[in-house]
Amino acid sequence: MNLAVDMLIGAGLLVLAWQTISGRSLFRGIVLFVVFGLTMALAWARMGAPDLALAEAAIGAGVTGALMLVAFRRLVRIRPDQCAQPALRRSRLAVPVAVLAGGLVGVIGLAVVAVERDPALAGLAVTEALTDSGLGNPITGVLLLYRNLDTLLEVAVLLAAFLAARTVFGEDESRPPTPARREVPLVGALLAIIVPLTILIATHLLLAGSREPGGAFQAGAVLAASGVLLVLAGRLQPATALSAGPAFGLTLGLMLFSLVGLAVMAFGDPLLALPGLWAVYLIETAMMLSIAMTLVLLFAGASGLRRSGP
Amino acid sequence: MSSAMLYVLVAAGLFGIGVYGLIIAGHLLRKLFAINIMGNAIFVLMVAASAPLDGRPDAVPQALVLTGIVIAVSATAFALALMVQLYRVTGQASLEQDPDGDD
Repeated sequence: MNLAVDMLIGAGLLVLAWQTISGRSLFRGIVLFVVFGLTMALAWARMGAPDLALAEAAIGAGVTGALMLVAFRRLVRIRPDQCAQPALRRSRLAVPVAVLAGGLVGVIGLAVVAVERDPALAGLAVTEALTDSGLGNPITGVLLLYRNLDTLLEVAVLLAAFLAARTVFGEDESRPPTPARREVPLVGALLAIIVPLTILIATHLLLAGSREPGGAFQAGAVLAASGVLLVLAGRLQPATALSAGPAFGLTLGLMLFSLVGLAVMAFGDPLLALPGLWAVYLIETAMMLSIAMTLVLLFAGASGLRRSGP
Repeated sequence: MSSAMLYVLVAAGLFGIGVYGLIIAGHLLRKLFAINIMGNAIFVLMVAASAPLDGRPDAVPQALVLTGIVIAVSATAFALALMVQLYRVTGQASLEQDPDGDD
């Protein structure tokens, strides 16, 4: 019975992936890619990885889909008449290369599954050590206590991607996605319900991340969704100049993480050895805000945001 | 067949589809779909092939994959910006020199 569910999800993934890359319309491809991401979230849940399911649904499907849609709209806006997409190329090598590559991955995976499965030493050590650290969620524990350099650099990569995108993109496309003051009835009421709820969910994900599935990245993506909504509704307008608020938000996670990580060295601890649970919460909160700000600015395609409307 | 084996096979299939899509795609957005699908295949492989501990999944590969998902989004965002700028400058969103060219 369980295997049947897995088979359904696996078949769904393969069909969706195939449709995404071979479909005729680009827009349809984007929508299918988002559905693929959501099906991936189901697969993660089935594999016993609820943290990954949350991350995939919020970041992998949600944010990536939104970014792809907004990029697609920019393509259409640059040349509305010429939306003829280059057709799929023909290549005689494509099928053999793809079969070989897939086969390689399959053989590696099957070999790993087939060998005598020793419980991973790192995994055992983490599970044992985390019981006295107060972090019930082993994923958050690994991310912030053992692989914290990875996590720090991950925030740095996100910031670097934003800066690189801004550098490439220039400022001449600062037309807002939605004009300000085009008030549609009910939008205000809807925002008044959805935005506070989103903030509540993000805070819950962040706090729950120490014991249950959740964490800074999932919370940041959910928080970014409310920012995207505000941009789409025209309440936040892209600004050409980076003002102090967004700049602070962008760098807060990286700065605070680095500061705490360096400060512990003054007390004789190794670099990035977090002094306690309070530091984990502090850094996760800062990371959540930075991740949300970076994702919203990437979506808006702007260096900054300013308030508009009533 | 175990569930781990099934997901390893799914990963292999996804990777193959991703490579195929990467080769045949003309439009850069399609190439990005394909690259993301390949990345997801590797994520599935890492989690499916890791040994469980006392019936619970191993946290270390999951944490690595969580990092990977965020890095993938960062790279995709940058790639999308590059694509839009390329389209703005050259008027086409593919890497081919001419319609018949084979790069």
